[in-house]
Amino acid sequence: MVTASLLAIALGFAIARVTVGYPDPGRRHRGLARGEVALISSAAEAMYPAGGPIPSSGLDADLPGYLERLMAASRPQTRILLHLLFFVVEHGTLMFPTSGRGGMRRFSSQDVEHRVAALDGWAESKRFFRRVVFTSLRAVLTMGYFAHPPVVRRLGLAPLVIESPICEADLLYPRIGERPESIGLTAADLTAPSEGIPLPQDGPLHPGFAELRP
Amino acid sequence: MISVEPGEVCVFAQYDRDLALEADVVVVGSGPTGAVAAKELTDAGKSVVLVEEGPPFVPAEYEIDGGLSMARTMREGGLRTTSGTIMPTMQAIALGGGSLVNSAICNRAPAFILDRWCTDFELERTTRADLEPHYEAVAKFVGISPTPENVLGRRNLLFRDGCNALGYHCEPIYRNVRGCRGSGECFTGCRSRAKQSMDISYIPAALRGGARVLTSVRIERVLTEGWRATGVVGRVVKPFTGNPSHQVRIRAKTVVLAAGCTATPVLLQKSGNLANRSGQVGENLQFHPGVAIMGIFPDPVYPRFGATQGYQSRHFLRDGLKLETLWAPPAITAVRLPGSGMALKNRLADIPYSAIWDGIATCNRSLGRVRARRRSLDPILSWKLHPADVPILTNALWILAQIFFAAGARTIVPGVHGIAPELHSLEEAEALRDRPLRATDLVLAGNHVFCTTRMHGDPRLGVVDEMGRCHDFENLYIADTGIFPQCPSVNPMWTAMALAHRSAHHIAQQG
Repeated sequence: MVTASLLAIALGFAIARVTVGYPDPGRRHRGLARGEVALISSAAEAMYPAGGPIPSSGLDADLPGYLERLMAASRPQTRILLHLLFFVVEHGTLMFPTSGRGGMRRFSSQDVEHRVAALDGWAESKRFFRRVVFTSLRAVLTMGYFAHPPVVRRLGLAPLVIESPICEADLLYPRIGERPESIGLTAADLTAPSEGIPLPQDGPLHPGFAELRP
Repeated sequence: MISVEPGEVCVFAQYDRDLALEADVVVVGSGPTGAVAAKELTDAGKSVVLVEEGPPFVPAEYEIDGGLSMARTMREGGLRTTSGTIMPTMQAIALGGGSLVNSAICNRAPAFILDRWCTDFELERTTRADLEPHYEAVAKFVGISPTPENVLGRRNLLFRDGCNALGYHCEPIYRNVRGCRGSGECFTGCRSRAKQSMDISYIPAALRGGARVLTSVRIERVLTEGWRATGVVGRVVKPFTGNPSHQVRIRAKTVVLAAGCTATPVLLQKSGNLANRSGQVGENLQFHPGVAIMGIFPDPVYPRFGATQGYQSRHFLRDGLKLETLWAPPAITAVRLPGSGMALKNRLADIPYSAIWDGIATCNRSLGRVRARRRSLDPILSWKLHPADVPILTNALWILAQIFFAAGARTIVPGVHGIAPELHSLEEAEALRDRPLRATDLVLAGNHVFCTTRMHGDPRLGVVDEMGRCHDFENLYIADTGIFPQCPSVNPMWTAMALAHRSAHHIAQQG
């Protein structure tokens, strides 16, 4: 009876830890649970704080939105791995608490200093597994951070406009999901191939990265 | 039943029922080897069906963002790793295979490596001289030539300067590119259409010759009768989800498997452990494990300008090392940087002043195997970096550090566990040479994969003969890097294409 009660309490605690008390993210993110949105946002804030040489923060970069797009573009097995990654980081503080009061709270419930300490703990761990977890988390967050146009513009890394020559292959392949009838090009539309002129360093930016001007 | 006419490409939206085709030759996989085989066999008058699991990508489909691009063009979303020693390894899923998203590096296998293959694996016609006509034919078709000086960019030229200062031989990389503009976007698809990836070079040529190309079809089994292959069977799969639908059955007089070094052995295993009297199918898995260092220079490097990988050094080839320049989408580049918080942001701000150079290693003692997953055609890759091979990689880091400082770098970021995140002088970098490191201390990557269906003159010790023909089947061929008996020590694409060219001509001569 006592054992059953203890198990029930533990189960209740586990369910509460995983599900209860997450803030409303404001909008629904398809493919991400509320707790995952909280984890991604809180990790983004710790990993990429506001200020410094790149003004945009991880929060400015809407990393939950990026992860939502990445999940949608990924196969089911990949999505499972990403969910697992978020779960391990969010609740890994149970096994690897940070020092000080509240060190065992969920990652997303900790203050920024504790979160940075938790991330450093993963990054510098002697355990290879923990370092892999950190590298994986940082990889997806960094990809999202760099998908934020102001970040790459600030670093001079935004892609430029490149006019793709129309070649024979463009007459053969439709866009993914469409039928060949949608191609709408003929041999008359072929253009000269690239002449190998280097891209100008001050060329116009790709529309997806250009600064919006009123 | 839909019909697929000679010279036609079939895409996912067109499949509305089961499909059955007949051909002289069915080629499974449209990467560099499958595409070469399909074109050469078509030119020889054969009716050819080329089958690819991925869809064709046109420039409007290219995703410039590194993460999203990998999710769309790579198997397992680009997150595939080996077990044992954990190392990421990627395989593309697209018409044209890896050629769509690689940096087009073309190197002939060194003569001393090919000689070793001949000696150690009882091969008689695989010397450099034997392969030269095939190398030349491929080079002529896809325009293999040195990276032009005007598109190298400072990132590549600094590598040259560093090597020259130290007296290390170096050279511009030969690539299958015509009209490069130095966009540095090889890994996400060349928007300049300068890279002669298979989807814009060999495959259109095969189509002109009358080949039929089926995209979004995953071959699940090789069909056999006795000691002859009779065709393949598979399913139409939806792009990006892999959800299967209609059945596709292709009967053919000859079957060529060019699905890649990790997929071909799985296909054989799923087909009833085919062609495996030697017990070598899926064995002997080798990589060129690679390590990289980022160097920070005092002046801007403008790293996004310049050929993705434009310079290399084969100076240390006999020590098991090939060194080269590297660039990747900024998001992927930034993943290398250590730390978090403001320290990480400060390092990100250094990217415009940075260059990344890498070394790939010949690790013949580090072996693994490929096994099929249950209810999936994705492979399980077990591989372990042999402790005796670790010093080859740490030597690569040490040499790269020397080149960086010789080129004027103010700091290097080695990304090695147990070593300071930033090293500011050659003296500090000596830790890379002197400190004993383990495999798990290194950040590895291995995208060149070999040997899982290796060629060997002795049928008891290899899966295929020198022409790529399976020892156990008179009309089943393998034409991907799985047939390499050992790693080639340099980027493998050109050699794999040359071998596929030779196999195709052999098949054509068989009548």
